[in-house]
Amino acid sequence: MNARLQSMIDDAKRAWTEQRSSGREQVTVSIDTSSLARGADETLAAIRAQAAAMNLKVDVGITGTWGMNWLEPTVTVRSAAGTRTVLYGNVTADRVPEFLQAVVVEGRDFPELAIGVVEGNATAEVPLLSDHPFMRGQVRRLMANMGTIDPESIDHYLAHDGYAGFGKALDMDAEAIVKHMLDSGLGGRAGGGFPAGRKWDFLSTATADPRYLVCNADEGDPGAWVNRVVMEADPHLVVEGMMIAARAGHAREGYIYIRYEYPLAIARMQKAIDDAYARGLLGKDILGTGWDFDLIVHRGAGAYVCGEETGLINSIDGYRGMPRIKPPFPAQAGLWNKPTNVNNVESYANAPMIMRNGAEWWANVSNEKEKGTKMFTFSGHVNWPGCVEVPFGPTIRQCLEQWAGGMLNGKKCKGFQPGGPLSGVVTANLDLTLTLDPYRGMGMFLGGGGIVFFDESTCILDMCKYFLGFCEDESCGRCTTCHGGTQRAVEIIRRIQQGGGRESDILNLEKLVTSLVWSNCFHGQFAMTSIKTALKAFRSEWDEHIIEKRCRAAVCDGLIDYSVRAQGEGIDEAAEICPTNAFYKEAGGWQIDDGLCIRCGACKELAPSSIEIRDRFARIAAGAAAAGG
Amino acid sequence: MQAEPSMQELRELVAEFLPNRGHVMPALHKVQDRYGYVPRVAMDVIARQLSTTPALIYGAATFYTDFRLHPRPETEISWCSGPACRLKGGDRIREAIQATLEVPLGGESDDGRYGLHIGQCNGTCTESPQVWVNEKVVGNLTVSKAIRLARDIKGESE
Repeated sequence: MNARLQSMIDDAKRAWTEQRSSGREQVTVSIDTSSLARGADETLAAIRAQAAAMNLKVDVGITGTWGMNWLEPTVTVRSAAGTRTVLYGNVTADRVPEFLQAVVVEGRDFPELAIGVVEGNATAEVPLLSDHPFMRGQVRRLMANMGTIDPESIDHYLAHDGYAGFGKALDMDAEAIVKHMLDSGLGGRAGGGFPAGRKWDFLSTATADPRYLVCNADEGDPGAWVNRVVMEADPHLVVEGMMIAARAGHAREGYIYIRYEYPLAIARMQKAIDDAYARGLLGKDILGTGWDFDLIVHRGAGAYVCGEETGLINSIDGYRGMPRIKPPFPAQAGLWNKPTNVNNVESYANAPMIMRNGAEWWANVSNEKEKGTKMFTFSGHVNWPGCVEVPFGPTIRQCLEQWAGGMLNGKKCKGFQPGGPLSGVVTANLDLTLTLDPYRGMGMFLGGGGIVFFDESTCILDMCKYFLGFCEDESCGRCTTCHGGTQRAVEIIRRIQQGGGRESDILNLEKLVTSLVWSNCFHGQFAMTSIKTALKAFRSEWDEHIIEKRCRAAVCDGLIDYSVRAQGEGIDEAAEICPTNAFYKEAGGWQIDDGLCIRCGACKELAPSSIEIRDRFARIAAGAAAAGG
Repeated sequence: MQAEPSMQELRELVAEFLPNRGHVMPALHKVQDRYGYVPRVAMDVIARQLSTTPALIYGAATFYTDFRLHPRPETEISWCSGPACRLKGGDRIREAIQATLEVPLGGESDDGRYGLHIGQCNGTCTESPQVWVNEKVVGNLTVSKAIRLARDIKGESE
């Protein structure tokens, strides 16, 4: 390996060991977007202030996430002797004084908030972290450093064999690197599954120069935050992955396109890149090898369609981020019409693993088709929204029941949605696996790793309206099939929800399904997928809405009404909270003016037994029958 | 409301950018980072700096939801439009906030004191359903909590 890199790694390892054997307790708070939303910054500030006030000799630091988002803020405590490390959850700022008193002053565990023992022995009260159902069965490679290292420290990364994969790549020629990638079987992690090695080979053998690399970090699928976790918890992994790709593809410049909604990921990637420049890992004459490579963070500005690779390229190019027709593919004409390789964050982040440990090691958790590990995020009606890394191809059952902690309030799972708004909805078939094939078979795709589970309180038409509304909002406006078709689909669903459903609506929606596939890009081609799959999987629900004018989930506003059942507990509060003043007094009691009611349901929250949601059309039908009879 | 920045000030702000189309978005970001929005006059300045047309800059700026062409309201509720929030009543929360504030999604009050903006999922789904008030998460909402929040912002309860 390159001598300068080797000595950098050695120095970092020495410093890491020294720091770890400081003889002080080491208290680290996981800081990322998810934990900040739950007050981790306040916890960190409280720990610093309390440690100073109590004059404690502790090292306070930060780490990336452990993936246990529902337990944030999480805090890791390593004993002064370095023999015991325990992970704690829900450490809110107000708990910090008693927490530090126990774990630092008294040097004992704090079982009430303990999640598990990372290093050391389990006790009767605190089990091993690896025995936690969330951790069991996970194989953490991309996430190996997460929770341990400070994502803002290049030395921490180097101390964990960081850039050693790049070091190996420096000693190899482009063909050998590409062969490594092909041997591993790494498929694109954004959902397509196209072999990364083949893409790299296209760039490597391209005939034009200069060539470019692009990292697609425009993780726009709502409900997916896999790439954010990687960039916020171990950003150097992406930098190293792109450097390896640059060696393989003879690229001199790379762009990381990060969505606007991820400011912390943008900041951490930028810090990682700045630090890499400062160490001579990026820029001119890298590590004295005479090789140049520049890496630039490009900030998006809120456009889902820029996640499509040609839209993304146009966006960097300074045009409106509108996708264009392929071919030519980016490998032939991408950024500034030059050969360009586009991979997503997770794909690049796997490259250092493959280079460091070999393709065989990397693939040793694989089955025949799906190779390596894959990160997933779970959200929706689940107990444990979080992020896992597991051998590619787990069953839905294991995902839902084990890693996602089961359905919220023990309700029944109605279905799930992988892959974002362009993908479809699937019934709760728990034996399905999270692999590429089953979803391709249904005319949809697995996507980038965001899995949203929903229970029986969900109206499938409302879900479809949500996804189509999203596609309508985010359509770039080029193809009439897409911008007009999504709009039409939303109108039809809205009319059905208002009680104006016609039997021809199904046919019209099916027509839209077949016509939108003629759009130019993925966005339009897949915009109708949610409706297409929902019409198949949940057909009876559509018929109920259209023919019976009934919404079993009591969601669709035109098919229900709110009324006062009893002048009972909470009714005055209910009348007061109403945002449209729909409550009026008649004969001494509260009533709801149906014309003013917007079905927000605030009154029912405050007076659940006094307010009822009624089936509007059943009531109208009953009234008509009574009048006619 | 703050006055529009002067041409001179803007010229200095974007002086580092070159006649390179790749600099369009970074320049727009730099202006927005400073002023909170992209003033109309800034597009002319950027166009000149990048040796291109104001139309190209305007076209790019208006394509993206997060380039603002007007100053932000004093208090902005960003409503999370993500699926986890949606499944837990997010859309009813939006309707209730709109009714309380009497502004549509994407609108603001006449005096510019408060407004409602569409936010995109960033994966903090543990807090769903949620909104951001001036970028700070307010999570685990119910419809009635959201109405009270909106009333506070509107100043009705004072």
